[in-house]
Amino acid sequence: MVWLRPASLFLTVAAALVLALLLGSPTALRAQGTPAASSTAATHESAAHAVAPAKSALGSPVKSYGSPSAPVKLEVFTDYQCPSCRTFFEQTLRPLINDYVASGKVYVLHHDYPLSGHQYSGMAARWANAAARVGQFGNVEGALYDNQMMWEMTGDLKKYVSASMPAADFKRVEQQMEGCDGPGPTAAPSGGVAYPPGGHACPLDAFITPDIALGMKVPVQATPTYRITYKGQVLPAASGAVSWAILRQFFDSLLAQ
Amino acid sequence: MTESSRGRWVRSLLVIGRVVLAAIFIVAAIAKMKPLEGMPWTLGSVRVSLSMFAVGVDSYQLLPPWAVSPFAHVLPPFELFLGLWLLSGIALRVSSIISSLLLCAFIGALASAYERGVGISCGCFGQGVLINAKTELIHDSLLFLPLAFAVTIGAFLLHRKPNTAAPSHAD
Repeated sequence: MVWLRPASLFLTVAAALVLALLLGSPTALRAQGTPAASSTAATHESAAHAVAPAKSALGSPVKSYGSPSAPVKLEVFTDYQCPSCRTFFEQTLRPLINDYVASGKVYVLHHDYPLSGHQYSGMAARWANAAARVGQFGNVEGALYDNQMMWEMTGDLKKYVSASMPAADFKRVEQQMEGCDGPGPTAAPSGGVAYPPGGHACPLDAFITPDIALGMKVPVQATPTYRITYKGQVLPAASGAVSWAILRQFFDSLLAQ
Repeated sequence: MTESSRGRWVRSLLVIGRVVLAAIFIVAAIAKMKPLEGMPWTLGSVRVSLSMFAVGVDSYQLLPPWAVSPFAHVLPPFELFLGLWLLSGIALRVSSIISSLLLCAFIGALASAYERGVGISCGCFGQGVLINAKTELIHDSLLFLPLAFAVTIGAFLLHRKPNTAAPSHAD
């Protein structure tokens, strides 16, 4: 029975260590509330509009939400035709934009990463970039994800883009899309940018290809992929859907530092 | 090879096996709890790391939302406890069975993620490490699980043959 003494000692020390760690993380054992889920569809609808990007005078597209001086920067690499990206946008980014972007805690920066397996994602990225150049990125991004299941069947993106903004703005978007027919650029699995059969380069692609190149450096292995920068420190990229409740908890712990 | 020398071999291999297995769990736990670069070792910074691990756990889409955070905050300390337990050699049969079951659960989660084609952020040996579920699956199934099984079998074998573990009795 001599062995019982070191055993009890070990188990006591180990249990104390674990308890100390657990007690140090009170938020861990707190049940996840449902504030993110409790937001109504109506408030979600207005999310992108509430902190819509600043209008740009047809310079570079502004594909971001919030203030660049926010303590946390969230870079998101997505494909408008990817179902996981739609879920990520609808269930995580919208409440995030509505809440933490609106309150100045987080700055969200979008990067296009159209995947080669998706027929219309390159074209969707072109529409989004054209809209971003007239300050309508938030509306168009929302419209593309909200209607993804519709336009991915027909490729009729114009219908949903035009419905998401005032006619005058849409006219400016449409002007930029002249000569941009056919499939748009995608991230080639072997690296670089590729055009599906029938596709060709257009001036708007100059805003998409740098995003693809950046994504390859990260590297983006699946969409959505997101990367967080806090106080200038770039954290390792992560991918896949994450719920807003979990992401918010992470932001809270980070902002409490 | 005599019974006693075989017993010594089994014992030596078992010690090596459990130390390696313990190291795997301890390293995995510390990697998850380690503060992000530039942050000091404080409870707050460990909490940040565990919250980031929760993001990785969530990406597996296996647990209900309410369970993700408690699981992510309990698992790394438990891995640390298990690693220390294995290292101590106390009740080795129990600790080795628990480690085998834990590894089976990890492999199950990875297999499920691979099957569903979910892009996951592993977090197995650090925060937010993007992984290929298939690679990690092969890695865990071929290296860690056989080791845990070997330690479990060794622990049971030694328990069954107390005489070989104590050669002085035969002398």
